[in-house]
Amino acid sequence: MISRLRALRRTLFHGDQLDNDLNEELHAYVELVSAEKVRGGMSPEEAYRDTRREMGGAEQIKQRVRDIRSRALLDRLVQDVRYALRQMQKSPGFAVTAILTLALGIGANTAIFTLVHAILLKNLPVSDPKALVRVGDHEDCCILNEAASSREGSYSIFPYETYKYFRENTTEFEQLAAVQAGGADLSARQAVGNAVSHSSRGEFVSGNYFQTFGVRPFAGRSLMATDDADGAAPVAMLSYQAWQRDYAGDPSVIGGSFLMNTHPVTIIGVTPQEFYGDRLSEAPPDFYLPISQEPILGFYSARNKTNLGWLFLVGRVKPGVAIGSLQEKMSGLLRQSLGELKDFQTAQGRELLARAHVVLTPGGQGVAHMQHRAQSSLYLLMGLAGMVLLIACANIANLTLVRGIARRVETSVRMALGAGKARIVRQMLTESVVLASLGGVAGLLVAYGGTKLLLGLMFTQATVMPVDAAPSLPVIGFAFAVSLLTGLIFGVAPAWISSKEQPANAMRGANRSTRDQSSLLQRSLVILQAALSVVLLIGAGLLGKSLNKLQHQNLGLEAENRVIVDMNPLKAGYKPERLDGLYQQIEDTFHAMPGVEHVGLTLYTPLNGDTWSFYAYVQGQGVPDPGHDANTLFNRASPEYFKAVGQQVLRGRTFTPADTATSQGVAVVNQAFVKKFFKRNEDPLGKHFGVIDIKNSGDFEIVGVVEDTKYQSARDQPDAMVFTPMLQSAHLSPSKDLDSSLYAGQVVLHMKSLRPGLEEQVRKTLASIDPNLSVDHYQTFEKQIEGNFSGERMIARLTLLFGILALVLAAVGLYGVTAYGVQRRTQEIGIRMALGSSRGSVVGMVLRGAMLQTAVGLVIGVPVALVCVRSIKPVQAQLYEVVGRDAGVIAAAVCTLAFAASIAGIIPARRAASIDPAKALRTE
Amino acid sequence: MSPSQFDLLQGTLDVLILKALALQELHGMGISRRISQMTGGAFDVKAGSLFPALHRMEEAGWLRSTWGESETNRRAKFYSLTRAGKKQLQSETERWEQISLVMAAALGSS
Repeated sequence: MISRLRALRRTLFHGDQLDNDLNEELHAYVELVSAEKVRGGMSPEEAYRDTRREMGGAEQIKQRVRDIRSRALLDRLVQDVRYALRQMQKSPGFAVTAILTLALGIGANTAIFTLVHAILLKNLPVSDPKALVRVGDHEDCCILNEAASSREGSYSIFPYETYKYFRENTTEFEQLAAVQAGGADLSARQAVGNAVSHSSRGEFVSGNYFQTFGVRPFAGRSLMATDDADGAAPVAMLSYQAWQRDYAGDPSVIGGSFLMNTHPVTIIGVTPQEFYGDRLSEAPPDFYLPISQEPILGFYSARNKTNLGWLFLVGRVKPGVAIGSLQEKMSGLLRQSLGELKDFQTAQGRELLARAHVVLTPGGQGVAHMQHRAQSSLYLLMGLAGMVLLIACANIANLTLVRGIARRVETSVRMALGAGKARIVRQMLTESVVLASLGGVAGLLVAYGGTKLLLGLMFTQATVMPVDAAPSLPVIGFAFAVSLLTGLIFGVAPAWISSKEQPANAMRGANRSTRDQSSLLQRSLVILQAALSVVLLIGAGLLGKSLNKLQHQNLGLEAENRVIVDMNPLKAGYKPERLDGLYQQIEDTFHAMPGVEHVGLTLYTPLNGDTWSFYAYVQGQGVPDPGHDANTLFNRASPEYFKAVGQQVLRGRTFTPADTATSQGVAVVNQAFVKKFFKRNEDPLGKHFGVIDIKNSGDFEIVGVVEDTKYQSARDQPDAMVFTPMLQSAHLSPSKDLDSSLYAGQVVLHMKSLRPGLEEQVRKTLASIDPNLSVDHYQTFEKQIEGNFSGERMIARLTLLFGILALVLAAVGLYGVTAYGVQRRTQEIGIRMALGSSRGSVVGMVLRGAMLQTAVGLVIGVPVALVCVRSIKPVQAQLYEVVGRDAGVIAAAVCTLAFAASIAGIIPARRAASIDPAKALRTE
Repeated sequence: MSPSQFDLLQGTLDVLILKALALQELHGMGISRRISQMTGGAFDVKAGSLFPALHRMEEAGWLRSTWGESETNRRAKFYSLTRAGKKQLQSETERWEQISLVMAAALGSS
């Protein structure tokens, strides 16, 4: 095989080498013949001429030799492949089993690799992505107070002022762009006739955004720096996808006028089809708007706030720039820029400032949020799929071995007839590789289906699927490489065994022997399968249990018979002074709907993916020590809100209609807040606090305590949280600015029961209050909570799927080996039974053998599983309140495997017991 | 009929090359001279048929080649028999013996 490969390589890649050798060989010949002629008396010239004449055309000889060499090579390859295909035709059952097994194994791996490639390995579809640099190393979103937004001093999200400061004081970037960390809610409609409005997603970007990425527009023109200047005419770029989806690719949209959140904006161009923004996302922006429009179209006036981080930065560096020194320089600039803020002029602030720095990371993938989020899950799945493939390999190696042994006589005859060992090994390996290649082709089909399935599980809410399921060139290459490797792995053992074959042994009638090396190898393979499948089963059990615990934990709420309605009065053009009337109208109108028990309004409901967080200052406690975590989640609640989401009130009261914008500020806090901000025996009721600034610490009086409810994440313990009435100011922004925290984002309806047609009714009801007020999103509370577990559910389901696959493969493997053993020991068993062994003892004997292998597999597999769970980070990250040595899960996995093994063993065992001794002894 | 005008029977050249290499390794010209010597000058193998045959037989696994030095101190390619080559020589020799016996008997009887 090796020499063969070398010959192949020589012909394919070193044709010159072959030619040189041939040249030299012929030269030597000519010289030797001439020398002989000279010795015979000719002159050297004459001798040389004579020899050349005798020899004929040297080129013709060379061509013939070359033809022979390459044809021989090709012939042998074709011959081997043909032989392999013929062998497969002879036993189609084996071929089909093997190809199907491989298709599943290779398909699973390829499907997951498709995701790994598309999500983790691919760069943005922009020009020269390698020159892009991200300023920052994390993706904490979306609007953060600068003093609170760093992770151990590392800043990734910046105010507009800091971005400008960076841009003005660096020369290393060709372009440095800023992009909004979160998204902008837009209600967009064409400003012609009575066009319908679309609930769209916008992103505010700096004017040089498209220049930075080197992206040319599909139609119209791109945003430019001048569009981002103060007082510039309001313009936007439309994404190709949204153009096709919402506007049917209508060319009149380009250059057309739009109303966005009631403000006029001109569309100047459409982005190219393949461009999906600065990050891989389920919901890429529909509109790209210049940052200068943010104070008008957005709700936070973030552009004008120097202490609010809301921008991610991506730049294109000039060739030859040293990233290390640029990072140093920018960290210095950051400290200068932040140092201007009064947040950083306190003792605590100065401490923070000293540690402030930026980390420059490769920006080819843009804002790599999805990459960082999916990474560990994908690697975990990759490992699991690899294990399944390994089990499949072991299975096919076993099948091949069994066949190899059945073909012993044939092999021995061939060897006795002079076929070299190398040739036999090569033949066996060719068969394996051909088989694996067929499996690989079938695997690509499995992968295509599998990827679609995976994408559906992964991106449940996607408006635009960020990953294409169709196999790309690297994916096909991967499948091919895996097939080749697989073929070699499962082909090597059988090939090695048959090459050690002593022809004489086989010819002498090896069918009578009871023991040989291959059976030991077979058993080891079965043990390996059992061990791997128990690892997978334990993994599946742990993840399943973890998911179950996540779903059935006490979240501190009641989700049954509740629906959540997203709306945005800001988009509908409401001024703060009209909100009180609106909220009352919403409560009254919905209460008039039949079957409604409670109507709650709030900024955000538990586990909907949104939170607001501020520093809390409790009256009389002074400024917290530097480095002390004084953060609290901030939310607003209408009087019925707590009943609507089922959050229990533990002490005091909740809000009433008497808690208005002008009455005494009141707040309800959760237990975690009490624990975080008050001493053990201190009574929180009656205490005052405020957020953002110590001078606000008299704002709210604590009037009630509610239970801890998980708002931010279903995994983590609930953080401290405060609720205030909908309309009481918390001094979040200077009084002249709009306070967007007054605008309710979600309405919770607690119903007697969820009846069909409710959604339609809710939409109509809201529209009856104000036609401009649209339902942005409608789902049940249970669905909203379930959405938090989609990743976990996908991993748990896939692991279970892989575990079942592994179990079936291992059982089939065990069955195959045991059945084969019984067949070979027919005579031995016949003799035993003739000598008086009972059927029961024969069954016992066969079954014992099978169970022993399983047991050894378990003894190896269980500790391996424990070590894996403990030491592999992605596994650890997945588990929720479940430890690796969960006795129940381990016991269940062991029992499942034992059960499958006993079924795989009992069938051949019963066949063994039904052997008729007389017949058995008569057969050869 | 001049001896050099023998038409080489199919496979004759191969067996002659195998035989020529039975005792020692030889380079191309050496093989040609050895065949000539073995057949009393009846076969004079020309380069045009010798080299393709040598390469074909090497591909078939009967011969192996190494670079060495000729008697005139020149780098030359030497051929020798592999195990498969020796087996092949043996079975070919048996076959030829049989053919010649059968042919002699057939043509000799009248």
